Amino acid sequence: MNTKKNLSRREFLQGAALTGVGLLAAACAPATPAPAEAPAEAPTEAPAPPAKDKIVVGLSRPLSGWNAVIGDSAFRPVYETFVEEVNADGGVYVEEYGKKLPIELIVYDDKSDVGTMTRLTEKLIVEDKVDFLWPASGTAFLFAQAPIANKYGYVLITAEGGATSLKDMLPSLPYVFVTLSFSDWYQIPVLADILSEAGAKTAYVTYIADLHGIEYSGVSGIEFPKKGIEVVGIKSLPPDIKDLSPVIKDAKASEADIFCCFAYPDQNMPATGTSMELGYNPKAWVGGPGINFGFYHTAFGPAVEGVMGFTSFNPKQSEAAKALADKLWAGKPEDVQDPWGHPLYWAGLETWKQAIEKVGTLDQEKIREILATEKFDTVLGETWYENGLLSKDCHTGEIGQWINGLFEVVGPKEHATAELVYPKPEWPTG
Amino acid sequence: MNMSKIDLKKVWIPGLLLIILVLLGTSPLYASIYTVILLTSILMYIVLTVSWVMFSGPTGYISLATAAFFGVGIYTSAILGMKLPLPLVVICGGLVSFCLALLVGALTLRLKGIYFAIFTFGLVELIKHLLLWYEINMTGTRGRFVILVDNNTIYYVMFIILVILMLTAYLIRRSKYGLALQSIGQNEEAAAHIGVNVTLVKVITFAISALFIGAAGSIMATRWTYIDPYISFNPLFSFMPVLMAIFGGLGQPYGPVLGAVIFTYLEEILITRFPYHYMLIFGIILIVAILYLPDGLVGLVQKGRTRLSVKKEISPPVSETETVAQESSSSG
Amino acid sequence: MIVTILDIVIAGLLLGGLYALIAMGLSLQYGVARVLNISHGEFIMLGGLTTWTLYTAFGLNPLVALAVCGPAAFILGFIIHRTLFKRLLASSTSSSIFESNSMLASFGLMFIIQNIALIIWGPEMRGYSYLAVPVNLGGALFGANRLVTLGFAVAIGLAFYIFLARTRMGKAIRAAAQDPATAGLMGVNINQVLALCFGFGAALAAMAGMLISMCYPVHGVMGMEYTIIAIIVVVLGGLGSIPGSFIGGFILGLVGSIVTYFDPGLALVTYYVIFILLLLVRPTGIMGN
Repeated sequence: MNTKKNLSRREFLQGAALTGVGLLAAACAPATPAPAEAPAEAPTEAPAPPAKDKIVVGLSRPLSGWNAVIGDSAFRPVYETFVEEVNADGGVYVEEYGKKLPIELIVYDDKSDVGTMTRLTEKLIVEDKVDFLWPASGTAFLFAQAPIANKYGYVLITAEGGATSLKDMLPSLPYVFVTLSFSDWYQIPVLADILSEAGAKTAYVTYIADLHGIEYSGVSGIEFPKKGIEVVGIKSLPPDIKDLSPVIKDAKASEADIFCCFAYPDQNMPATGTSMELGYNPKAWVGGPGINFGFYHTAFGPAVEGVMGFTSFNPKQSEAAKALADKLWAGKPEDVQDPWGHPLYWAGLETWKQAIEKVGTLDQEKIREILATEKFDTVLGETWYENGLLSKDCHTGEIGQWINGLFEVVGPKEHATAELVYPKPEWPTG
Repeated sequence: MNMSKIDLKKVWIPGLLLIILVLLGTSPLYASIYTVILLTSILMYIVLTVSWVMFSGPTGYISLATAAFFGVGIYTSAILGMKLPLPLVVICGGLVSFCLALLVGALTLRLKGIYFAIFTFGLVELIKHLLLWYEINMTGTRGRFVILVDNNTIYYVMFIILVILMLTAYLIRRSKYGLALQSIGQNEEAAAHIGVNVTLVKVITFAISALFIGAAGSIMATRWTYIDPYISFNPLFSFMPVLMAIFGGLGQPYGPVLGAVIFTYLEEILITRFPYHYMLIFGIILIVAILYLPDGLVGLVQKGRTRLSVKKEISPPVSETETVAQESSSSG
Repeated sequence: MIVTILDIVIAGLLLGGLYALIAMGLSLQYGVARVLNISHGEFIMLGGLTTWTLYTAFGLNPLVALAVCGPAAFILGFIIHRTLFKRLLASSTSSSIFESNSMLASFGLMFIIQNIALIIWGPEMRGYSYLAVPVNLGGALFGANRLVTLGFAVAIGLAFYIFLARTRMGKAIRAAAQDPATAGLMGVNINQVLALCFGFGAALAAMAGMLISMCYPVHGVMGMEYTIIAIIVVVLGGLGSIPGSFIGGFILGLVGSIVTYFDPGLALVTYYVIFILLLLVRPTGIMGN
């Protein structure tokens, strides 16, 4: 009896010891690549900056997992093209070093997991000691990443994601700058404006049961009545919903002029398909993220005539807009286009580059200062941040509509590239 | 038997263990910041895996409820984080999970084998969707912010949870209670016959393992800063401990720990070094490992050791199952 | 009122048909071959994306793609069982060890297939519009594509059931499902049968993926969602019971449709409540013994 107990204890101890060795090995290993980075960190405060031959930018991106669907079509093509263009020109000019420094990217896969994203973000900052941090993908990820970047004093110009609740947090996050437009910044007020002017009186709102959907349905509940549009029906959709026909039938029965689907591609695309299948033809069909993507148009073809979504520009608006569209989209399938996000993210990266060039150093605090106070010249024209948000006066569009196969800006009026089509043409039958 | 060798081992192994504990306990003093962050993740996975093995290992009931207990801990932290001091929050997270596990355990007594696995899996999804529905319709939101805690504190809390867990696991294994647990795994009816209160032993062990998972969840939430039902009740947290334990090998107590350490570290290397192909490489490693090491990493270690023992003409160690069989028959 | 009920019932059947098909595939792999195939959804994804490519790049009718996807997936599944799971079966000392080892292997498989799909197709949503026109059924409106989907799901399900009930090979599969050891003694080549089951499972998944792509967008990371549904339905129907999975799929679809009518937010909660209650009351499922 006694010997047996000893045996099992011995086994246990051996096991524990072995485990410890494994743990230690794990603990020591990541430290090994550090020396390579070490020279860069030591003399940060020294008056004469050490020689530097590149700007290292770190990103934690959803290369795999559920969020890859958004990440891959939204910010990724923008930052890849931007880095290519800047480096082809020699890099970003930094006065402190008296030369142009090319950008080098370190990209990690966060597997669409917030926990992994926060860990990798800290790795980029404290272990890889990247010069700059570029954003993760998605509003929830943004909520988790922004406090970390701010804590370490890293400027974070965000891409995919934006929310009213984030707006309230920005005063406490001086290093965070938000580029994407969102519900009350300034999409829904414009939507209510142009639709009421066209004669819409009633709306049926369905929204995805998450932060994004709740916010959009909430804001439309405030903005629509202001313009005399009554919300006659409202229904939430669980994120994993498959069959949308009950909701579409309910909307159809409500006979509302406007149908809103404030959800993601995963719901907006089936909602479109189901509307076609059920012959549901409201006078305006508005959808959230997804409608603006090129792949939406390639999936349904000319049938999507008149469907409305969110946007921020159209290549027709200016020379700069045309040039950006060529850079990002020319020679590629239509699938890759995102006229809502791409110009705003691009403008964000431009403000980043110009801020560095203005201060002539890579000092985060000084760059933050410039970003918060100065104006920049970007693809959108004159661009500046207002309390951490890209000013709505810089937006070159809010509401888009598929007209003759192009996603035109139809609101606000001063940026419109086409007249709003209302009521929208019926879905083709057969 | 060679006495001097055993004496040497008696000193050498606890000594090494002590050194490792001290090294781990003091690592924030000298290790790089990120090493501490990564170690926190590794410790977290060890806690999840060892807790899982504590119940599922001896009884053979595959639990996929880890994500449920972990998520409950996370939500406890999100709700109480601003109101209570951190140690209390962590204890609450553990206790809420403990209670949930008692309830689930009591409900699922009739379920055997794979049905228990699937029930626990369904539980995770049920809690997730119920919470989502509740948050949207009752509180009008989906996500919550969690209070920020500095990295070293998180590390130490996780380390303490792990040490207590290891001690608990060790004491359970050594006690009569642990034998009762083993006997349930061998033959539940026979165990009941020899006077083991099968129900009580199962439910209590399940709840104890949930206690540690919940505590780990509530401290980990403070690293994530923002959570929602999908982030908190990610089914991956149910599968990971099982896979890590299998990968490490269930034959020895250190197997699951080894599995958790290497699994986590391997993934870390792959997502940072080969972000575009990490899944491909990881998948191939998993398949190759399971093909050539059907007993997990432990199998590899044991193969090496058996070869050594054969050389030294020491009879192979009595396997665990035999020990238990003898123990239970002698007590019955 | 009658139209509303008709609406709900038909919508439930339409969804149920897809569920039934994906569950039958998993039922073969899990119920018979004892592989809790976590990569099941990846075969659905492969079927969907292949159909999309064939339709958009070559203009191939999705229903014709069925004839390509099904056999291709069958061969793939058969080979995977022959090379991977057969070896695991041989090296595992007990059936519970095989179950855990094969789960780990299928997890690895999921990672590999998903990464290959990401390399080929990227993670973007892929959709196309096919037969998206309304059909009036006694006052209730439905998409023609969905009705076609249901028709094919039922046809595939029935054809497979007849195959199991009438042919020699089908009988061998059923024998293996009930008692592999005895089946082996009775002269059934058990390895052959298990590989066939795995292949058929993959083929059913790919065909379901093809049908799904007609109604919903498909993308490289969609698999897990369907794997989870398949697991629920398989348990609902009773482990190892193929008719059970078929019926279970329709029941789940109907329940989902009824609840969605009242509150879409509660549809999934209801799935799991039913699922959990059923396990507690009747763990062997609807058709189990």
